[in-house]
Amino acid sequence: MPAREDGDPVERTRFRVAGTEARRADGVAKVTGAARFTVDLSVPGMAHAVMVRSTRAHARILGIEREAAERMPGVLAVLAGADLVAAGLHPYYGHVVLDHPALAVGSVRYHGEPVALVVAETKLQAAEAADLVEVRYEDLPAVIDADEALRPGAPILHHERGQRVGDEGMDQGEGALEGNVCAIARVQWGDVDAAFAKAHLVVEGEYRYPMLYGYAMEPYNALAFFDQGDLVVYSTAQHVYMVRRDLARMFDLPLARVRVSAPYVGGGYGTKSYTKIEGACAMAAHLTGRAVKLDLSVEEAMLTTRSDSSHIRCRSAFDRDGLLLAREFDIVLNSGAYTDNSPLVNSKTANRCFGPYRIPSLRVVSRSVFTNTVPASSLRGFGAPQGNIGGELQMDEAAEKLGIDPVELRLRNLAGPGEAILPGKRPLDADLREDLRCLVASLEWPGTGGVSVGFGVSASDAGAYPTSTAAVRIHADDSATLFTGSTELGQGSRTVLCQIVAEELGLSLERVAIVGGDTGVVPYERTTGASRTTTVTGRAVQEACRDARRRVRELAAQNEKVDVAAVEDAPAGVRVKDRERSYGEVIEGWFGAGGEVLGHGSVRRGEGFAQMPPFWEIGCSGVRLSVDRETGVARVEKLVTVGDVGFAINPALVHGQDLGAATMGMGAALREELVYEGEQLVNPNVVDYRVPRFSDQPPEIDLMLAERHDGAGPFGAKGAGEGAGNTIGSSVAAAIGRAIGVFPHELPATPERVWRLLRERDERARR
Amino acid sequence: MLRRFEVHRATSVEEAVDLRVRYGDDAAVYAGGTELLLAMKLGIARWAHLIDVKPIRELSRVAVARDTVRIGATVTHWDLERHPDVTRVLPALARLEASVANVRVRAAGTLAGNIAFAEPHADPPALLVALGARVVARGRRGERTLPLEEFVTGMYQTALGGDEILTAVEVPVPAPDARAAYVKFQVLERPSVGVAIVAKVNGASFAGPPAVVVGAVDELPRRVDTAALAGASLADARVADALAASARAAVSPVADLAGSEEYKRHLVGVFARRALTALAAG
Repeated sequence: MPAREDGDPVERTRFRVAGTEARRADGVAKVTGAARFTVDLSVPGMAHAVMVRSTRAHARILGIEREAAERMPGVLAVLAGADLVAAGLHPYYGHVVLDHPALAVGSVRYHGEPVALVVAETKLQAAEAADLVEVRYEDLPAVIDADEALRPGAPILHHERGQRVGDEGMDQGEGALEGNVCAIARVQWGDVDAAFAKAHLVVEGEYRYPMLYGYAMEPYNALAFFDQGDLVVYSTAQHVYMVRRDLARMFDLPLARVRVSAPYVGGGYGTKSYTKIEGACAMAAHLTGRAVKLDLSVEEAMLTTRSDSSHIRCRSAFDRDGLLLAREFDIVLNSGAYTDNSPLVNSKTANRCFGPYRIPSLRVVSRSVFTNTVPASSLRGFGAPQGNIGGELQMDEAAEKLGIDPVELRLRNLAGPGEAILPGKRPLDADLREDLRCLVASLEWPGTGGVSVGFGVSASDAGAYPTSTAAVRIHADDSATLFTGSTELGQGSRTVLCQIVAEELGLSLERVAIVGGDTGVVPYERTTGASRTTTVTGRAVQEACRDARRRVRELAAQNEKVDVAAVEDAPAGVRVKDRERSYGEVIEGWFGAGGEVLGHGSVRRGEGFAQMPPFWEIGCSGVRLSVDRETGVARVEKLVTVGDVGFAINPALVHGQDLGAATMGMGAALREELVYEGEQLVNPNVVDYRVPRFSDQPPEIDLMLAERHDGAGPFGAKGAGEGAGNTIGSSVAAAIGRAIGVFPHELPATPERVWRLLRERDERARR
Repeated sequence: MLRRFEVHRATSVEEAVDLRVRYGDDAAVYAGGTELLLAMKLGIARWAHLIDVKPIRELSRVAVARDTVRIGATVTHWDLERHPDVTRVLPALARLEASVANVRVRAAGTLAGNIAFAEPHADPPALLVALGARVVARGRRGERTLPLEEFVTGMYQTALGGDEILTAVEVPVPAPDARAAYVKFQVLERPSVGVAIVAKVNGASFAGPPAVVVGAVDELPRRVDTAALAGASLADARVADALAASARAAVSPVADLAGSEEYKRHLVGVFARRALTALAAG
């Protein structure tokens, strides 16, 4: 049985610090406003940049009139893409394909794309001058809808493809990328056609998941300058090392001469993965010789990155007993104007759409498609919610048609612990059947008295390529400092990683400090995403602690002139010649005065992480919900999540992650959607784009944890933070469907959409 | 981001009027700024001069006379939702004010500013029109009072003269046997349908036709024809049907992100019924 709330008491007592709800390392600083974010930073002589954005969705740039802006007081430079090329810089960036220009070069591909950058002494001067920059365009036909972009004769966004970076963890290969196809992913086994031919029931339908803006409190911003020829960039980047690589390429600099630092970041959710505005900001610094700050408004951030929307056509074949025989998915993602992370989103959509079931025959084709819209990239759980809406809703629709309870239908089909759900991948490291039983018990399935219930499951192959390193310094006073490249985005990574250090070194949490997110200081970390930090980085931290302890044992052996085998670890030091020595005693004994010990840890795609994914991120959540039949308003009355996390090193933080992911999921399920009318977004602001509020939160929330120590991370932990949201879209749709008798296939299930479904149903009933 | 502008802090209505005359179309009157500054930040509107009327003492008062509540132009939503006289004499207005936007908007935004900005997606106008509210404006040629219905002339348009300052909103104190209710539907930051009803009730029947006004859905608040409801029973299902039908017929909904024309017209009917239910409940 999964342990509820505080876990298995026996397991928990093995640890001192791990498994406790330790107070956040950054809590007081953030609550009091003392925490420094990139946007708070300034350096002497700093200039400010403001972007000039395209007023066309697709056009050739004929000319940029900048004299009027250049004459304005305080203006240092008005820069365009052509200037970057003329200066010998490489304006294109991208971690998969180098096709995203820091500033448009030659043409623009979406309304709102950065075309020029005005640099001035103050931000106001830059903004006022930016108003005077006139760009002359020759309009080109534009395409906004992804299905239309696939049709023959559609306007082509990229006649020449950018160079591929060839990173194993990111690039799924070129494939047959014709027309506007950005990426194709296929998953296939068995004889799908034969299975459908002999099926007792085939459920078929089209489903849509919306284009979203992952609202974070801190919009994108960066501060860049050159220090004796070295490029220094402070930014809101989640993946400082990925940005470093992009910047090194753009400036032809060795990695060692680019330093990217992310202090606290005010929310990421994947939207700050990879390079955003760092290139433009750094180029402005290069060309003006000044430190340059570029900080976007929320409205501009909404024109920088959004998530891929999906259009799914799928069908599922079942036998008489409700066993899945085959599934087939044809998915189209609207990926916007540039590649960014869409190939990975696309492949994850393909891997995650069909669910953690035993499926004898499967055929999935997912295509990521360029359109003249804001470029799409990562957003929490990417690929999972986009596909889950089709895969899970068809389980509910099939259950209804077969007359089988949808819980029972899932239990019959779910893969068990240790079973493979993707050939060649890590077997499932979770017990989804138990999770589901806990979930529906709390949801009081099947619902009563005007309240309906929806739930869903998913398993995501965590896209966390397991390359992580960490360093730990043990100081002579028995305190320790952890150095990690993982970024604190608000998720609480600094707290959890410090807990791991405290646990491993036998120190109290107060004696552990952390330095994070600065490529000039901390060792390499591949990314801060895919729920990897606790599991993958956490393992590197553990290794660094063990390396430091090994070093302490060596020093103790030399101090005591014994063989190192005669030295044992003690809780916070070593035991040698029947005496305990603290770290400090050993260190000072060896150095004579002062000194410290440095431990280094690394993990790679090998050992415990040889098989990908490093873990399966489980989604198991659901809602109790009521529908106002007159208005179509659906209201979530209770939210339930089961966090199948292996072991919660800090249960409070895991609860926060699960609630956060589910809340974002409820936003997408009920309210959030970026809307294009014609060639422009009509709601690129948070007045018209409705992010969830506290008053939207359900009156009842049950956040459960299933802790079976079955993860590959420290103490059996697995990643959390995305899974709880991945099934919310389908759960909400299923609950609405049960309430009104028609399953919504398009999210968000806005009041008007629900009202229309009700009306159509009533009209059908009358006929 | 905001562009450069100058703020003129007026300390008297006369000074504010002079500033309006001096700066003409380059100036906007600034009280709470919750609509104005948002529009300026988004670049939808730009003014070189803002005339801040908050320092004008006489505009900050709520005065209750025997037959009128006079609400000064710088009185905020927050002030009104908890003002002891307003909650006593105009409880429906106090409740409405407590539901406007969010606490930050209510703390800074003013009722008069809400009316003067004439954003159609607003709560107060429907109820104020139903209550027979008037607007007081002072300009070069003195003071005039006009019904709110005549003051608001279109989306973001009012009858305020180029030399005038809106100084107060006057709301008649309802008769002792009158009741009022306001219900709304909202999915975004602003209401998409609001229905106000003000009626004298005799036992369980309308004494005379109720005043019913639909707000937020149309370019202007729209009065609903309720002549047929005079004397009707509040509990009569046919009354609700007739009111809903009449309300739907009274509006020309503007389609936007909150809904299509068709859906909003449907909602007007639903909320007309709910307004009636709210009125009957007390």
